[in-house]
Amino acid sequence: MVGYYNTLREKVQNDRGTALVLFGLAILLLDLIFKLITGETRSQIVATYLWDGLVIGLAIGLAGVGLSLTYSILKFANFAHGDMITAGGFSGWVAVFAVMGVGRFDMKNLLLVGAGNPINVTELGISVSTTPIAILFGLVVAIIGTVLLTLLIDRFVFRPMRHHNDGIALLIASIGVSLALRYGLAFIFKTQNRGLTAASLTASYSVPVGTGSVQIDLGEITLVLVAVVLMVCVHMFLQYSTLGKAMRAMADNRDLALITGIPTEKVVRATWIIGGALTGAAGFLITLERGTISFQFGWILLLLIFAAVIIGGIGSVYGAIAGGIVIGFTSTVSLIWIPADLANVAVFSVMVLVLLYKPEGLFKGVTTA
Amino acid sequence: MALLNVKNLIAGYGDLRILEKVNIVVEEGEYVAIVGPNGAGKSTVMKSIFGLTKYIDGKIMYEGSDISESPTEEIIKLGISYVPQNENVFPNLTVRENLELGGYIMKNGREERIQELFDQFPILQAKQNDKTSTLSGGQQQMVAMARALVLNPKLLMLDEPSAGLAPDLVEENFEYVDQIRESGTAILMVEQNAKEALRRCDRGYVLVQGKDRFADTGKALLNDEHVRKEFLGG
Repeated sequence: MVGYYNTLREKVQNDRGTALVLFGLAILLLDLIFKLITGETRSQIVATYLWDGLVIGLAIGLAGVGLSLTYSILKFANFAHGDMITAGGFSGWVAVFAVMGVGRFDMKNLLLVGAGNPINVTELGISVSTTPIAILFGLVVAIIGTVLLTLLIDRFVFRPMRHHNDGIALLIASIGVSLALRYGLAFIFKTQNRGLTAASLTASYSVPVGTGSVQIDLGEITLVLVAVVLMVCVHMFLQYSTLGKAMRAMADNRDLALITGIPTEKVVRATWIIGGALTGAAGFLITLERGTISFQFGWILLLLIFAAVIIGGIGSVYGAIAGGIVIGFTSTVSLIWIPADLANVAVFSVMVLVLLYKPEGLFKGVTTA
Repeated sequence: MALLNVKNLIAGYGDLRILEKVNIVVEEGEYVAIVGPNGAGKSTVMKSIFGLTKYIDGKIMYEGSDISESPTEEIIKLGISYVPQNENVFPNLTVRENLELGGYIMKNGREERIQELFDQFPILQAKQNDKTSTLSGGQQQMVAMARALVLNPKLLMLDEPSAGLAPDLVEENFEYVDQIRESGTAILMVEQNAKEALRRCDRGYVLVQGKDRFADTGKALLNDEHVRKEFLGG
């Protein structure tokens, strides 16, 4: 703690930019305390913002880990990542609907294919509380489905391009993949927003805060728990398994990995498998928490995910998590001062501030570890 | 039969030919140095042996079999290791992790082998859990050599191991190479520090414009008037 205080002090002395940012944060904090004392802002509102920020942050962080992993090892920014999240969401929910409604509803409608007659989700009765096994099944299918999809895309698009070692060409190809994937999904599942869970069936808990309370539902709790567990698993894998170490080695120096005898193609495949699994899980959990899905939700999220990854330091897994949480908190806590329509302005202003004063990101040089 | 026999090798990058009929022989357990001016293709010889350049013509024989067009991962399995001149460690990994990855393809005995190398380079054992980028240049060079030695290669190729080291460390580094050689590993080394390399090696080659112009024992080359005048600065 003392050491941390000293480095902080050193930073402030050495870096006027950081000092300015910290000064701004201190003023906001004082203002918040003042607002709480005068009763202008109630503590339950602040607590709600914090909880919502954590949920959003972990969702974006989890989605960002996959992006950061593929960036650091494959050396290109994968713009198809957002649509892989969408694909993960759809594959999981198709599975959940199919097992829940088989025999009761028309299968074509259950698989969400075409406009058809939308399924009455309340009648289908899916929620984390009442049908946890079906939700778990959906999560597993989302993971497997997204892994297969990423392997397929790598095999036919990215792998043939890889030996050119051209990050820009791969990036542009990924934009193409992104569009093809998005409108492929739109063709199959159509463009309307679909309800997924029966909100009335999802258990919700009131946590008393100050004079009021914060509502926490089981969908959010599931997202937080699964995200934390998956992040810990990724950390353990990268830190302690031989394959994880080989992935970090490739992130460090691909040519040296090759001459060390590390089977680089195998490591690339492992990267896609792990990245795909996290992406699928993120897609499913985000839609579970929201209770709805549409063909472009992943694409819309991608900008925030990129912002998180940039704030954390692109290429760093821990940076992606930290960046996600910074974005989550910023997007909610800023509402104390600004209208909701400006929340994204706050988020991207934070990103610009980080780029100005700490361009290497919060987790400088910590490639994937 | 020589351990390594490079015959009339022509190789390069893309359309660019760097090596024009190079001949190099390394016997089992032998210490061979390649010296010569900048741009002569010294490093390219090693990269070609290791399957990292475009092979055009000639032969690379290793233990009697032709490896001219073998992929790098096959060559590593046959017992050749290579330490490039630059960026030859994984900076964000610990010293121990660097060595573990050096033995990635080993099925068993990796821990024992790493312990042997720690006994040989005690400083690496002391720093085994440090991030490699925090080590000094000389120590990083040691990590690079140890990483290449984990597989217990029959032939170790070193590309300018003393480049960029402080003068007192250069001497130390050459001593480490002697030590590796004494354990029975054959060494093929490219060196900018030509005099020191020729003094210590068994045999040497002077490479000029992609061709081996002189070949003899290290001592003979040191005493050769042409070699001295043209390449060793008198």
